[in-house]
Order: sequence, then structure tokens, then C-alpha cells
Amino acid sequence: MANEEKAVLEVEHLSKQYKKGVYASQDVTFNVNKGEIFALIGPNGAGKTTTIRMIATLLKPTEGDAKIGGYSILTDAAKVREGLTYLPDEAGAYKNMKGRQYLQFMSEMYANSKEQAAEFVKTAEEICKLGDRLNDKIETYSRGMIRKLLLARTIMPKPLIAILDEPTSGLDIINALEIRRMIKELAAEGMSFLLSSHNMLEIEYVSDRVGIIAHGHLLETGKPSELLEKYEAQNLEEVFEMVVNNSEIL
Amino acid sequence: MKFFSLLKKELREMLNIQTVCMLVLIIFMMISMGGMMNKAAEEESEESGKITICDLDDTTFSKAVLHFLESPVAGMKNEVNVIDVTSDDYAAELKKAGVKSFVIIPEGFEKSISEGKQADIIYVSRMSSLAALSNVNAGSEVAVELIGAAVKTAIYQDKTSKGALTEAETKLLEAPLNVEEQTIVANKSANVKQILLYSSLYSRSLFMPLVVYILILLGSQTMINAVSAEKLDKTLETLLSAPVSRMHVLSAKMIAAAIVALMNAAVYMIGMNKMNMNAVIEYPDDFKKTMEDLGLTFGIKTYLLIGVQMLLTMLIALSISLILGAFAKSIKSSQTLLLPLMFVTIVPFMASMMIDVTSLPKALRYLLYVIPFTHTFIATDSIIFGKTALYIGGLIYQVLFLVVCMTVAIKIFTSDMIFTASERVGRFGKKKKAHDEN
Repeated sequence: MANEEKAVLEVEHLSKQYKKGVYASQDVTFNVNKGEIFALIGPNGAGKTTTIRMIATLLKPTEGDAKIGGYSILTDAAKVREGLTYLPDEAGAYKNMKGRQYLQFMSEMYANSKEQAAEFVKTAEEICKLGDRLNDKIETYSRGMIRKLLLARTIMPKPLIAILDEPTSGLDIINALEIRRMIKELAAEGMSFLLSSHNMLEIEYVSDRVGIIAHGHLLETGKPSELLEKYEAQNLEEVFEMVVNNSEIL
Repeated sequence: MKFFSLLKKELREMLNIQTVCMLVLIIFMMISMGGMMNKAAEEESEESGKITICDLDDTTFSKAVLHFLESPVAGMKNEVNVIDVTSDDYAAELKKAGVKSFVIIPEGFEKSISEGKQADIIYVSRMSSLAALSNVNAGSEVAVELIGAAVKTAIYQDKTSKGALTEAETKLLEAPLNVEEQTIVANKSANVKQILLYSSLYSRSLFMPLVVYILILLGSQTMINAVSAEKLDKTLETLLSAPVSRMHVLSAKMIAAAIVALMNAAVYMIGMNKMNMNAVIEYPDDFKKTMEDLGLTFGIKTYLLIGVQMLLTMLIALSISLILGAFAKSIKSSQTLLLPLMFVTIVPFMASMMIDVTSLPKALRYLLYVIPFTHTFIATDSIIFGKTALYIGGLIYQVLFLVVCMTVAIKIFTSDMIFTASERVGRFGKKKKAHDEN
């Protein structure tokens, strides 16, 4: 990858306009460094998913650009996709496949050789810890099991950055905790994460830096501890409330 | 009270706007189909009173027969059009007369009767389609019946006045005419009964459109389910964010759906081919050769030409389904989105089974031609009955239609629309404001 010294993800003035004058995301700028967990926080409809979808090359931005590993989502989308993985909110998997078949299929999308694909599957098996259940059809899995499988799929090719939209939504406390720990461990090993969540307490625990987004605008970025200090707040929810209330754009 | 609340809720769920629209479409379809059938029945009724005949015998008796044809029977008066047939090229003679069939009273007609022999009659008709109601030549059939009746009356009056009927005369009264049936297919003619040709081709005329219909139905359902399920499960987002070309994802889906549909079609074709529908009919010894002479046998070329049309139809149906799949908000809505496609499939399917589409009034005919699937439903007719221009025109139209559909499908699949189309529909329907997305 080019420009390893720079931030892994650079987002510059990214905007998405669905119809004239109505922005789902407007002038969003931030970056994510190597091994960093950056979280976009905001309520439903704030523009988190639109921003993430643009970075994941699924939607084309109306204005601005984003670069992953130095490659632009506008001009080098194929290269960008080699450096990222994406886990959508409430995503499913191919129910007719067995867990292992799904991992095999997805590994073939990322790998350049059979050996590499096998290596990816092995990594995923270790991460998801589903054991023999990987031989069962996905339709028999619980929601937590599917999320673990998908998270393992997201991590297995060891991307420059893994984009996780609401990574623990709908999970019970134990499963959610397990996934948060996993994210922290992988970040410590050098993988970068861009998370999105409306669960601000979760984000406070897991992320290195956060970006507060509301009505399509990124209003504030910083480390959770810095933000708590700056706004003299008890938690990120209070920070969010103050940031949104003080914002001129709303 | 509780029951009625439940009933109201269920009706609200089941009787949505799409269902109501479909009911309206079905009513429209039934009225259109009814109209077509009524028109065909009316035409048949009108045709039965129109007799086209050529009198080559030109004797007192043959003239008396013509007069007999004109006289009212059960209050119905026939319109007799006497024509000149100057050659044995019956295809050309039919074209010259501008009719689908005529009857020839040949030279020696009166002589045969006076000698107590069966009188020859030549019945010439054109076979132009395999559709159920397309090969009715009511006027000429009435003419043959009436000529037979006239001959019977003449023999009866003549012979009974001379005393009791002999055994040979009684036999002659049972079958006074020897009808030589000449059937024209495209520009070729053969001495064969049209009903035999139709019977031998009946199974094909029945199952070819059925296979096409199944092909469209299964292909469309497979494709729309594949697209909408991937969208709704968000596996499509996962896949399209991976380092894989969107065109590869799209073409893999198209090819897989086509293979599944073709497998289904093959199973149906083999199954229906094995159903020996012609077992009860006895064909003349040289029937196979007659079929070959008339170009009614299905050779590799015919199957190939039909196959091309089928492939085009399937690809059109798949690309339309792919487009519709992008607009699906749920599995249920994806099935509802398929209904208009099913509607425009069932109309030409039914029409082509019943009526020779080329014989329909201009407006109705062109309306059917606009539906790309029509050209595949009538492909068999077009090929074996020599309607080459119609086949080629249909093929070109289908190719153009496919190009347009594929362009739209590719545009949707390679742009934001694959993710935003259903949201846009939702916004339009509910008039939601901005920030609809998480």
C-alpha cells in the first residue's frame, strides 16, 4: 500500500446529496490512523451510514473525497476495496450456506491464491470461535453467531481498515462484550477500525477517537476523555447533547 | 367487535394498493381477451356465410348447385363468391382470390353423378398458424356440406323416381363426394387434410408457449428473489464492498438464473415431449414425407431459431426482474413487483394459443407486438408458416429491447441506485422528508 506513514483513512469534505438541497451527509472531514479505532456517533438518521457507505465505495459522493491507503474512492475504487472490509448494520449471510462455506466463499473474494484463501478461512475460524457449528447451515445460527461469523469474515483478510456499522447491535451483553474486546485486540495488533454506533456508552469504552455527527454534519471530533473534559460532561451522551445544542447549523 | 377489528386488519394487510392495481389489470386483461375471443367467434360466424367457389364443370347441375348454395338455409343466406381458378398453383390462386380457402367443382362433376359415381370436389385451404382458432375455414366447410347435400338430394330424387335404390346407390348416398383436400403452408401445397397436420403439430403448439411462459415465470422469480434477498440481507453491500467487479456479480447472477430457468424448461420440454398426444390418430403412410414437403417438420434449424428467441426472451425477463429487484423493499413487495411482468407475459401467451396474432386488428396486433415476449410465443408460427419478416422483425425488436433493459440494469447495478432505488420509491410513496437514512 502506498503512503503507509500517512493516515490509513483520510476523509475530506465528503458530502452526499440525495435531492437538491437535502444532504444526508455534508462536508464531513476526519481521518483514521494505523491501529486506531475511530467511531462516528450519532442518532439514527444522522448520516453515519451514508458516510460509511461512501467510504466503502458503495455510494458515490456528491462532493469531496476519501482515501484509503492513499487511494481515492473516486478514482481508484477497486484499489480502495482491496484495503477495506465492511460489515453493514444488521447484515445477514447466505442462509443456505454452511458457516465454513460462507467463509470460504468470502475469502475467495479477497484472496489472490488458494493458499491465501485457506489462510483467511483459518484466521476466521479462530476469530469466530464457532467450532463445529461452522459445519451447520447459517439458517440454524442465532443472531449472535451470525454477527460473530460476519465479524470474523470482516477481519480475516487483515484489511488496512475494517468498517463496522453498529457492530454490536441486537447482541446480548456477553456477545457484545466479546466483540468489543476482539476489536480492541485487533487494533492493538495494528488494524484500523471505523465504527458507527448510536450506543455512545459502548463507543466511549471501545474507541480511541470519536466524531459526533448529527443531521449529516460532523460537529466535533476528539478522544472521549478530551471531549468529556472539554464539555465537563459525565459521559458521551451528555457531550453529544451539548455539541448538538451549541451547533449553529441546527 | 374483536373479530371485525381482526378482519379489518387482515383485509388492510392483504388488499393493498398493489393487489387492487393487479385486480384492475386482471379485469382489463379478461375484457381484452374476451374481446379477442368474441371477435374471433364473430369472424367465424361471418365467414361461415361467405363461400368462395370455382365452377370448372360449368354444367346445368353445377350451376344448380351454386344456386342451392345461395338459397337460405334455416334463415341464413350465404354469400357466394364465384372465382376463376386457372392453374394448379393453389397457393397463388388463394393469394389472387384474397381468401383463406375455396372449393373447386372440377370438370366431370355432373358426369360422375349421372354415372352413379362419387363426385370429386377440391377443397383448398391455407394453414397459417397453430393457434386453436386460426384454422377455421367455415365458409368452405359449409360449402362442402351443402354441395354434398345437393348431390344427395339430386341422386335421391333421380333414383327413387326410377324405383327402389340399389345397394350401390344407397352406399353412394352415404358418401356422395370424394373431397380432395389441398392444404397450403406458406407457398407449398399438399394433398393432405389440414386437421391431420394440426393434430400432429398440436402438442408442439401447446407446449412451446407453455415452456416459454414457464421460462419467463421461473427465471423472473429466481432473479428477483436473488436480488431482493441479497439487498434485504445486506449481503449485496458486503459483496460489492469486496474487491470484485460489479459486472462480475451482475453477470454471475444473470447466468445462474438463466441456467436454472433453462434446466426447468428442459425438464418441462422433455416431459411434455414424452406425452404422446397423437397416439389415437392414424396418419397416412406418406404423412411424414408430406410434412417434410410442407416444411412442417422441426429440424435443427427450426429448434435453433426458436432457441434464439427463447434465450432473448429469458434475458429480457431476467434483466427486467433485476431492475424490479432493485426497487424491492421486502420479499413480499418483490413478488408484487413481478405481477406486471406476469401480466404482460400471460396476455401474449393466451392470445398466441387461441388466435393467429397476425390476423388481429392492427391496433391490437401492434399492442401485442410491443410486448417483447409475444415474438417468442409466435416464433414457431412465424418460422414454420414462412412469416420470415415477422420473425426477423421480432428478433431485432427483442435485441433492441434487451439492450435497453440491460443498459438500465447495468446502470442501476453499477450506481448508487442499487441501494437507493427502493428508498426513493418509499420516499415517493410516503412523501417522507429528508434524512430517511441512518
